[in-house]
Amino acid sequence: MFIINCPYCGERDQSEFSCGGEAHIIRPKQPTELNDDQWAEYLFMRKNIKGVQFERWNHAHGCRKWFNLVRDTSNDKIHAVYKMGEKPPVI
Amino acid sequence: MLNPEYPNFEKNTLDDLDLVLFEPIKKINIRGKKKEFFTKVGKILSIILPIEPNTSSSNQQFNALWLSPDEWLVYFNEENNNVYNNLFNEISRLNFGSIVDVSNQWICINIKGKKTFDLLSSGSPFNFNNFKNTKNSVTQTLLNHTDVIIHHTEINEINLFVRRSFSEDLWLWIKDSARFI
Repeated sequence: MFIINCPYCGERDQSEFSCGGEAHIIRPKQPTELNDDQWAEYLFMRKNIKGVQFERWNHAHGCRKWFNLVRDTSNDKIHAVYKMGEKPPVI
Repeated sequence: MLNPEYPNFEKNTLDDLDLVLFEPIKKINIRGKKKEFFTKVGKILSIILPIEPNTSSSNQQFNALWLSPDEWLVYFNEENNNVYNNLFNEISRLNFGSIVDVSNQWICINIKGKKTFDLLSSGSPFNFNNFKNTKNSVTQTLLNHTDVIIHHTEINEINLFVRRSFSEDLWLWIKDSARFI
């Protein structure tokens, strides 16, 4: 359990949020030109690293807004929280 | 088919806690970002929508609760029946924002008494330390795993909004928990 600082509502318990997986995955500009492996790579393959990871989170039981979060998956330390559309911080 | 008689909870007075179903009241979910949206809402409701997170604004007739940066819940007595139509015609019809009547979707429970926040803390992950000292504060959180909106109207008095289908379960939980705080 950990506390997340929602950029809209403030500090809330993690149980109010849901994780939306890795952030900043760019959709291919021409999906029809990709082969199955490349499409599967975009669609399914995620880094899931042990360490600092950029993630999307949703404040599901609060303001219901999506935002980005930089979290160390090994100890759940949150390095930064920023709104959708904002530039990711350098960590 | 919606049963308008449901839920029909009896008023309960427990040790230092008064629980009462605060119905019928009109509840309207309003969403919008445009300048015209804020102007029209201000004109119709005579109220400035709260921009600051977790706050509310009120006048003699209406209460407007902040839900997210572009979403508010307005509640008031059923007597002002034209308000919804006015808002809908002036905002939704003209594409300045969205107006949805959620009166049947949410119900309001009024909880009053010294142990109000002890009760809430026993089933919610939210930290009520600052909240309980701030009148007119609002939060959306979980209470006994159920989504709720809490409006702090007076010191030690709250209006708790819960989805109608979850209300009976929550009401029973509140009554049960109130015995142990």
